[in-house]
Amino acid sequence: MSEALLSVRDVSVSFGGVKVLDGIDLDVKPGEIRGLIGPNGAGKTTMLNVISGIHAPHQGDVLLDGVSIVGRKPSDIARLGLGRTFQTSQLYRGMTVLENLMAGLHHRTKAGLIATSLNLRSYREEEEEAEEAARLSLEFIGMSEFADRPGSALSFGQQRVIEIARTLIGDPKVVLLDEPAVGLSLNRLAEFDTLLRRIRDEKGVTLILIEHVIRLVMDVCDQVTVLSSGRRIAEGTPDTVRNDPEVIEAYLGKELRARHSAS
Amino acid sequence: MILLTYLLLSGLTTGSLYALIALGIVVVNKATGVINFAHGELFMFSGFVAWMLHVQMGVPYLPSLLVAVAFGFALGVMTNLIAFRPLKNANIISLVLATIGIAFMLRGTARVIWGGKGDYLPFPPITSPEPVMIGDIMVIPQQLAVLAGALVIMAAFAAFFRLTRAGKMMQATADNAKAATLVGIRIDRIYMLSFGTGAAIAAAAAVLMAPLTLLYPDMGFSFFIKGFAAAVLGGLTSLPGAVLGGISIGIIEALAGGYIHSSFIEVSAFIVIMFVLVVRPTGLLGSSGLRRV
Amino acid sequence: MALFGRRNVLCAMLLFAAVAPFFLNDYYLFVANTILIYVLLSIGLNILVGYTGQLAFANAAMFGIGAYGTGLLQVQLGWPFWLAFPSGAVIATAVGLAISLPALRLSGLYLALSTLAFAQFTQWVFLNWEAVTFGAGGFKTPAISFAPLPISKTMGLYYLSLILVAVLFALAQNLVRSRIGRAFVAVRDSEIAAQSLGVDLLRYKALAFGISGFYAGIAGGLYSAMLNFVSPEGYDLFQMVIQKSMIIVGGLGSIAGSVLGAGSLVFILEALRKVKGIQEIAFGAILVGFIIFMPGGIIGFLKAKVRGWEEPLHRARPGKRSPIAATSESSEVRP
Repeated sequence: MSEALLSVRDVSVSFGGVKVLDGIDLDVKPGEIRGLIGPNGAGKTTMLNVISGIHAPHQGDVLLDGVSIVGRKPSDIARLGLGRTFQTSQLYRGMTVLENLMAGLHHRTKAGLIATSLNLRSYREEEEEAEEAARLSLEFIGMSEFADRPGSALSFGQQRVIEIARTLIGDPKVVLLDEPAVGLSLNRLAEFDTLLRRIRDEKGVTLILIEHVIRLVMDVCDQVTVLSSGRRIAEGTPDTVRNDPEVIEAYLGKELRARHSAS
Repeated sequence: MILLTYLLLSGLTTGSLYALIALGIVVVNKATGVINFAHGELFMFSGFVAWMLHVQMGVPYLPSLLVAVAFGFALGVMTNLIAFRPLKNANIISLVLATIGIAFMLRGTARVIWGGKGDYLPFPPITSPEPVMIGDIMVIPQQLAVLAGALVIMAAFAAFFRLTRAGKMMQATADNAKAATLVGIRIDRIYMLSFGTGAAIAAAAAVLMAPLTLLYPDMGFSFFIKGFAAAVLGGLTSLPGAVLGGISIGIIEALAGGYIHSSFIEVSAFIVIMFVLVVRPTGLLGSSGLRRV
Repeated sequence: MALFGRRNVLCAMLLFAAVAPFFLNDYYLFVANTILIYVLLSIGLNILVGYTGQLAFANAAMFGIGAYGTGLLQVQLGWPFWLAFPSGAVIATAVGLAISLPALRLSGLYLALSTLAFAQFTQWVFLNWEAVTFGAGGFKTPAISFAPLPISKTMGLYYLSLILVAVLFALAQNLVRSRIGRAFVAVRDSEIAAQSLGVDLLRYKALAFGISGFYAGIAGGLYSAMLNFVSPEGYDLFQMVIQKSMIIVGGLGSIAGSVLGAGSLVFILEALRKVKGIQEIAFGAILVGFIIFMPGGIIGFLKAKVRGWEEPLHRARPGKRSPIAATSESSEVRP
């Protein structure tokens, strides 16, 4: 328990009388790649929203590196080392790719109103370093030539990768990815698998990903948590989870569960 | 006691004027998600057209009303084609300012055509002009006609949105334009229809209200802003909200004017708006849509 | 450096503005001073609306608060102009900050309406709180003197305006090219992503409102001194429409565009004075025309057709950089 980097304790959330999350527990160890799967409406995105501070749970706690983050503003939680991406593209369309990445360093830079408007040296140095970091980040994902493209001129797949890079540039401890592989073709899937591993191995970032692309989840995740109707119904290695009867029932219904156990 | 009743009644009647304007605004917003800042001018212009037909040219009342409403519909469609369709994907500021631009053009045109005829043009009422006594209070029947008109329009449109196919298509388009296109709804036509309908309501409102308010080219904006305030107060997508908002503002104005100071009439609506939006950002009856990310 | 690029053109305009008083008559000097005041208003408004995406309608009211603040501090409390002027700006800034608090929860049309309501309320206060504001008739402000400098009040005020515009333009330009500018655009383009990347929404919205209040307040103080008179008329909704039109015509999200928009619109309005009857129609048509055919404003057109008008949101470093050399240099910020 104490080794967990991110810890969710007995979290419950209701919207207008409907219990979307019901007493969820989750512990993610540092360096883990955790998959979060489940049928639609299971509460997966809500879970990420609670962790990142967008919704406050009605009960329960969330601990990041031992520090309780429930009730804090999302921007404060980001500062503490939590990053996330979203199901829909949230790239800043009014900036170039390079500027998007530099914007990812917002909470790691500190030039204020005075330093920036007066163009003081402290600010200029900080800005140069930020640009440098942004270029290195582009190299890491192999998209250096996109630096000056406007955010609005990228394909969907490209946007998703830049958004991940933008989240990583701020040196987070944990990154929450909401369906990052949406729309990826089979070829790209293999590349993406590699990218996720590199992020964990080379940058030491712990990942939690919501995914529907089961193949990716099975390949890359160390542990998988399965949610259904707001409850955690299974947790374990990908193989354990794949064969769990409750999971099969949640996805495919009782009939197929019976058929599966029969075969 | 009699002062209170008088103020309430006065507020109710002014409020129904605002409600009528608000209804037109909400109809357009319900279907397109946009506020037509030229709504007041559409209202004003159609009113003048009715005046031109009925008072100047002697056309009987009902045909004048119908022609004015049809003309209003056409103006609404024109606004849609000029200011909305080319800008569908632009940011909201551009949209708002484009409709403001049209408002200026309409106001200027009205001033050119009819401005010279005298400052405030009178318009004969649909009912007899003789005041009627309700208990101890004197009421002009036209005021009741306005209130009745507002309620009828509200009920008609509530039914329209809930029961007719066109109404449901409008709501679908407002909810999710892409999905609506996928199921075969011609959203461009829906938008055009919505703008036209909103403007037609404005035209009907103008004809009902003109006997009480008189006609002048600048009336558009002052009524628009009260109507807009009423629509927001009620929750921008709620038809009953528009009526409730309008009447609330009318009553608040009357009470503030009567009990505090007459100068408060103009401003009390705005104080209320600021307060309501802070406390309940989506208005009295509006719904806050949950965003999916 | 591109010949007709932004830097050269703006410098040329600055130079021209600096020597203008020597060959413009009083009327045109008045127009020029008006343009300078509108440049300030446009820059502030563009930061709030263009960069940060807040559809606010309160700028004309803050303009008025700056004017009334400066004027009333002189007339009611006997303060000298040089004290009343910055104080008026401070009051307008404070009001801007105050509005930002409720604005945090509102967006789009709801924000538009609440700020519109606030503007109407302010207008009403100017008109009706006669004991303090002198009501509809307005009041005269004492003529300011630039002693011991040997220049007339008109010249002096013009140069004061010009210096303020030059300084505040530079500050704004620096500001938007920094992490703060990027934070503004982040708030505009995706509040939810901005938050997840450490941008405190309240802080940056408040900053944007405060800055626009400050610029409007300075503009208001200058305006009151220019006219020697303050009345409720100049700060109403029509004024607000003019300001919004300036940033649309000039280009949203551009500081240089604000300058071009302000200048263009003042010229357009002056020209429209000549066509009395169809003033409104012409203004409306111009506005709609620009929005439909030049949605990026004049600056959008220039950015597409002329070299040197880019306005990046970061300080571009001079000279090329090679990734390999850079790796060894910077160890501070890890990617």
